[in-house]
Amino acid sequence: MGKPSRRINKVLIANRGEIAVRVARTLREMDIVPVAVYSDVDRIAPHVRACYEAYPIGPAPAPQSYLRGDAVIEAAKKAGADAIHPGYGFLSENAAFVEAVEAAGLIFIGPSANAMRVMGSKTAARNKMKAAGVPCVPGSEGAIDNVEEVKKVADQMGYPVVLKASAGGGGKGMRLVHDVSEMDSAFRSARSEAKNAFGDDTVYIEKAIINPHHVEIQVFGGNDGKAVWLGERECSMQRRHQKVIEETPSLAINEEVRCKMGEVACRAAEAVNYVGAGTIEFLTDSDMNFYFLEMNTRLQVEHPVTELCCGVDLVEGQVRVAQGEPLPWKQEDIVRTGHAIEVRLYAEDPSKNFMPAPGHIDELILPHGPGIRVDCGVASGYDVPQHYDPMIAKMCAWAEDRDGARRRLIRALSETAVKGITTNRLFLRRLLELNEFVAGKYHTGSIAEMMAAGDAAPSDEILDAGVIAAAVNRYRRDSRSTRREPQSQSSSGTLWRSHGWRRGGRA
Amino acid sequence: MNYVALVGEQKRQVELTELEDGKFRVVIDGRELFVDARAVADTTLSLMIDGQVYNIESELDPAGHGENFSIRGEVVNVEVLDLRSMQLRQAKTLTGGVDGPAEIAAPMPGKIVAILVEEGQQVEEGQGLVVVEAMKMENELKSPRAGVVKNLTAQKDATVESGLVLCVIE
Repeated sequence: MGKPSRRINKVLIANRGEIAVRVARTLREMDIVPVAVYSDVDRIAPHVRACYEAYPIGPAPAPQSYLRGDAVIEAAKKAGADAIHPGYGFLSENAAFVEAVEAAGLIFIGPSANAMRVMGSKTAARNKMKAAGVPCVPGSEGAIDNVEEVKKVADQMGYPVVLKASAGGGGKGMRLVHDVSEMDSAFRSARSEAKNAFGDDTVYIEKAIINPHHVEIQVFGGNDGKAVWLGERECSMQRRHQKVIEETPSLAINEEVRCKMGEVACRAAEAVNYVGAGTIEFLTDSDMNFYFLEMNTRLQVEHPVTELCCGVDLVEGQVRVAQGEPLPWKQEDIVRTGHAIEVRLYAEDPSKNFMPAPGHIDELILPHGPGIRVDCGVASGYDVPQHYDPMIAKMCAWAEDRDGARRRLIRALSETAVKGITTNRLFLRRLLELNEFVAGKYHTGSIAEMMAAGDAAPSDEILDAGVIAAAVNRYRRDSRSTRREPQSQSSSGTLWRSHGWRRGGRA
Repeated sequence: MNYVALVGEQKRQVELTELEDGKFRVVIDGRELFVDARAVADTTLSLMIDGQVYNIESELDPAGHGENFSIRGEVVNVEVLDLRSMQLRQAKTLTGGVDGPAEIAAPMPGKIVAILVEEGQQVEEGQGLVVVEAMKMENELKSPRAGVVKNLTAQKDATVESGLVLCVIE
């Protein structure tokens, strides 16, 4: 364990989207040259423009580009990079990739391949945690590769059960199965989704704990084998196991439980000599019992809320530790203040069962002002590709207390506009205004309950303003097109509805 | 100008008269309002109605139904028709059948990862037909009703644009 001391001057970011933009920002602040890689559809993507060098690594589908470790390493060598930052997703939890990076004489900014292998394989991690005396959710002791076996184990455990990708995270390849009739289709789709997302279709099964809280501890391991923890994140606002809102601190636990979880999390990280940023996920029940769920051996999507409340830059810490420096923080230096909430903005249509909604962004308006942080991977004039995750931005608010952060985030969402594609912006706002969320009394099933309840209509005043705006726009269009082309059929509405008008009209 | 504005399920009669540049008299269902409307950019409008300021960001509805207006954190979808196209639309709705063949179209650009039925196959309502993948999520397109699969043009691994008809249920 421990990494050789070596100053890092140039880092290749093996990722795309908002996380690649975010990593590049810290690198530039550290006077380290950020290097991007990009697929054929990402030439003008913000992450490429956020870097000082960039190399193409293949066609749009991720298995032919962002998941190709060999292409990434080749680009890093060509660039003369010292290190590779994997971001999250893609190659970030691929132990073979870590070994290949190190074999190529490069530094991998993250844990060792060994720590990743133990903690990254959910089944091996469970065994490790059990040996360390940490409570775990009941489940299969290993991967299951045929549907008959899955059904047998599920019958023994009792439904409902959860299928999970062994290599997974972020809800990809995960299916909640209520009874045996759903198993065939769930098993097929979980494996296929896992294969696409992680290049590994291994799945395992766990007993489902109904309406639990998902509370995770941010840990950070040093080269001396010691770890610190930086508070928790509450990730219980989920839809189909995808986190939608995250916040810190969590209202589901008290300070005593929080500290106990933090200590357990550090022990777990130290057990595998974990180096760098990692996250120990727990499920908690209503009695504040906590069960080890999994460890994410990478920088987490929702890391900004921790950064806002702890006043640290986790990416900077990752780079420092990777170049052999001691941990930037002692446990007693880590002081958590205020409250931070993050929402994930997705290119998806909540009114159509959250169908992905890729497409051209005509204009992007992002919020500003006190206490707001936006990590965004798209821009005006950019085509959101159909090939990757639909998350296009994370919006975070910090305030001295929870309700202040919540109001701030609602305000920020009201200022936001993503023109040209459908997003879940209003859905997020509704969630922040949901009674259960306001009161902090929510669980992982709250969103589904809200969805069933339906929508409130805007006030008459707002409707009037909308009608007037629409009529004024229509009137202006009609007078413009009458001047330009007298034979216009615009009265049918088809002219201005076509994409041709939308983009051509800008000329 | 006289328009009909469709707002959700509601229909509003709108009469709009430009008094001078940027100033309008608007009558909505008989209520008279005086409006100062300034275009800040192509899709940004600043409205003043009786001292109230509304900053309005608009976009063409990606689903093709009029425009979406973002106003004070809310979004209102409005489709404006002139009287003639309103009449045309009503006539169409009256003659259009509901029992005709159901076209199954790709709801988003993506890749076809599985075809679950065959040409000529009898399917039940809710039965999965084609699986389309976009943004790492798989979406199973289900049959809207019982019938027979016809014109199955979907091909496995093909990339499809939004709206492309993949098969028809008759």
